[in-house]
Amino acid sequence: MTNDYTHEKSGYTMTTVAEEAARCLLCHDAPCSKACPADTDPAKFIRSVRFRNVKGAAETIRENNALGAICARVCPTEKYCELACSRSGIDVPIDIGGIQRYVTDFEQQADMKILEKAPANGLKIAIVGSGPAGLQSATTLLEKGYAVDIFEKNTKPGGYLTYGIPEYRLPQNIVDYEIKRITDLGANLHLNTAIGRDITMDQLKADYDSVILAVGASEAKMLPMFDGNAYTETAVDFLARVKDAQGQIDDVPENAVVIGGGDVAMDVATTLKRLGTKNVTDMAYEEFDEFRASKKELAGTREAGVTLVDGYVPTAIDGNQVTFKHRNIDAEMTIKADKIILAIGQAVNTDQLGITTEHGEVSFIGYRTEDPKVYVTGDIAHGDKTVVWAVRKGKEVAEEIDNALMGGNRK
Amino acid sequence: MINKDLGIDFLGVHFENPFCLSSSPVGNCYEMCAKAFDEGWGGVVFKTIGPEHFKVDEVSPRFDELTKEGTPFVGFKNMEQIAEHSLQENLDDLTHLKRDYPTKIVIASIMGTNEQDWVDLAKAVTDAGADMIEMNLSCPQMTSHEMGSDVGTNPELVKKYCAAVKRGSDLPMMAKMTPNITDMVPAAKAALAGGADGIATINTVKSISNLDLDKKVALPIVNGKGSISGFSGKAVKPIALRFIQQLRVAAGLEQLPISGIGGIETWEDAVEFILLGSTTLQVTTGVMQYGYRIVEDMKNGLMHYMEEQGVDHLADLVGLANKNVLPAEDLDRDYKVYPKIDWDKCIGCGRCFVSCFDGAHQAITWDEKTRRPSVDYSKCVGCQLCNLVCPVGAISTGKVEMKPGRQGNIEDVDIESVRLTH
Repeated sequence: MTNDYTHEKSGYTMTTVAEEAARCLLCHDAPCSKACPADTDPAKFIRSVRFRNVKGAAETIRENNALGAICARVCPTEKYCELACSRSGIDVPIDIGGIQRYVTDFEQQADMKILEKAPANGLKIAIVGSGPAGLQSATTLLEKGYAVDIFEKNTKPGGYLTYGIPEYRLPQNIVDYEIKRITDLGANLHLNTAIGRDITMDQLKADYDSVILAVGASEAKMLPMFDGNAYTETAVDFLARVKDAQGQIDDVPENAVVIGGGDVAMDVATTLKRLGTKNVTDMAYEEFDEFRASKKELAGTREAGVTLVDGYVPTAIDGNQVTFKHRNIDAEMTIKADKIILAIGQAVNTDQLGITTEHGEVSFIGYRTEDPKVYVTGDIAHGDKTVVWAVRKGKEVAEEIDNALMGGNRK
Repeated sequence: MINKDLGIDFLGVHFENPFCLSSSPVGNCYEMCAKAFDEGWGGVVFKTIGPEHFKVDEVSPRFDELTKEGTPFVGFKNMEQIAEHSLQENLDDLTHLKRDYPTKIVIASIMGTNEQDWVDLAKAVTDAGADMIEMNLSCPQMTSHEMGSDVGTNPELVKKYCAAVKRGSDLPMMAKMTPNITDMVPAAKAALAGGADGIATINTVKSISNLDLDKKVALPIVNGKGSISGFSGKAVKPIALRFIQQLRVAAGLEQLPISGIGGIETWEDAVEFILLGSTTLQVTTGVMQYGYRIVEDMKNGLMHYMEEQGVDHLADLVGLANKNVLPAEDLDRDYKVYPKIDWDKCIGCGRCFVSCFDGAHQAITWDEKTRRPSVDYSKCVGCQLCNLVCPVGAISTGKVEMKPGRQGNIEDVDIESVRLTH
């Protein structure tokens, strides 16, 4: 069954992508482009595809977004570009993510080298964390002439891209290729290097002109009642374990309960189904009309055959038996399962980093901390927690550092 | 972003890139041409300027389109004539364009009704500051038979009027040809004999695009009636390329400077015109459908093509394909190429079977149980119709076989093409 886990849905061919691009109305004011948090310009790259200039389309995507092939696969386009699409006035929005995937796949096959490093300006930046925000800020800084060192506590780079998003949605080779582009551009990756253990913040501040904290929300949240329960695993641990093994784990449960109503819960539930778990029940705190998971993810989960139950919270656990109560009505459910997976959110660990966060975010808007050398970006900075927002925050923090360090020296 | 020099010289004038608006509604006034320059066009051929005494009186509506399945604007029919502004307004616009865009190329398209008109117009646009003149000898929808394509099909008139323009101006001049003629070579040679420096081609093809089936009237309907008028857009590209090829291979015209026109909307179209001998390119219909912005992808795509081809100067590409177009009687007829079906790609639609049975040589058989086609090589003539109709690219060129009794080495046979091999 692991084929199901590693199998990514086929993308467009030259013929079918041309058909999809031809559906685009090439609007005058391109609402899709205005709706992209990362400033990608779908109107421009779809128009390039329409006029058979796929290389130009790849330039438009890549010059704006160092993670263009990743965003093509995981961006919740329904909330952004596709929500704004004028074609919806006729039938359904243009499949912008699908077209972007075709173009970035083409870019990879053609081995295009689009990103360009600027001549060195003599300044060095340290980035803590190699998730999407760290990777994008590294790229933008390299394009401006900075030297960049990325410090990653894990054995592999990519953060949640590598450890969290399942293989069938985001193949690891795509993540690896995107990261290779950035290391080819000149980013130095220091893996297995934790701040406070292998190197201190003080050392980083002494060695670099600026330090960017892009640590993300990598730690799983745990509900006290599940703490120490032998049947319980967190979504973060489960997804990382499965992806690392490319689906070849030896403890696939017969029955499983997933607790949570976000995209991570959907990923866990769908992954379980693809691994061969017969009965997967997802219990969500939210009712369907307030669901946090994207419609695409929710639909995919339903399609996979997961039982979704909304509005329930766990109230008790006894071995492998969990009791849930409905939030608003007088109802109770008890489920026995071989595996209970908690997907109730993730927490930030800023130990040894010299900053404080509340509910996973710093308290200020923007990127500059009280320490003029230290910046934050990614999940711990204010704003949405999607990959596309990480790209935006990565570019913005790089701009802010450039403004601070170069001041009036740059036109 | 790729950046290559698209600069090219044509009739002694330097263009920053070969892309120009063709004389038409898209370059009808200062503001339109200025916007086109701002969006990256290298030159404009300002909408044809006529003599003061010819009063333009347009019909409404004046356009129609040819569609196919879901694709609009496969071809475009228009009944619009030359510029409707006064002569002085047009001349002022030329002057202001050149003043505000000194590095861009402003080409004045002119059309007279008699010899003196041509002399006077040539002088007027030269005084206004144009870089180049294009003689409109080819508009198929003029309301006067002393103008337009009726002139362009008459070599004597072409020569006489070209000479008149050269008397009125020392600017480089190209004569714009009509495709509504069997052989363009005599008209082009007459233009050169009259003093033309180069040729612009093609203008629109005389057409009736569609009829209203209930009213039995050609479209567009003008108070219950229709008219024959010019057809343009992608559908005329093959006709334009054919004329350009025929000009470039005619004895004495091998180096003929050509500004290519006819259905250009992508960089690939542009490359085709260049490879067949065009130095500059002119576009209208693509702009009418999509706006001036299409030049961005034409330029960028052309740069990538130059990069792939290892070419630094666009001029090095001009005319490279002319030698590969032969008279039909000179083509190699010693072999045939069978189709090859990729079973992994085949989705079992049966389109190849239908087309081969009804439209070719009944060489594809159909297994009703598996819903898969196969090729009967004893009947197949190697036409590759099946390849062209396959919607998923599952059919490509396969085994090559010499015809019985013919000599030759099949290893040397070159049949690969992007379209047929996917």
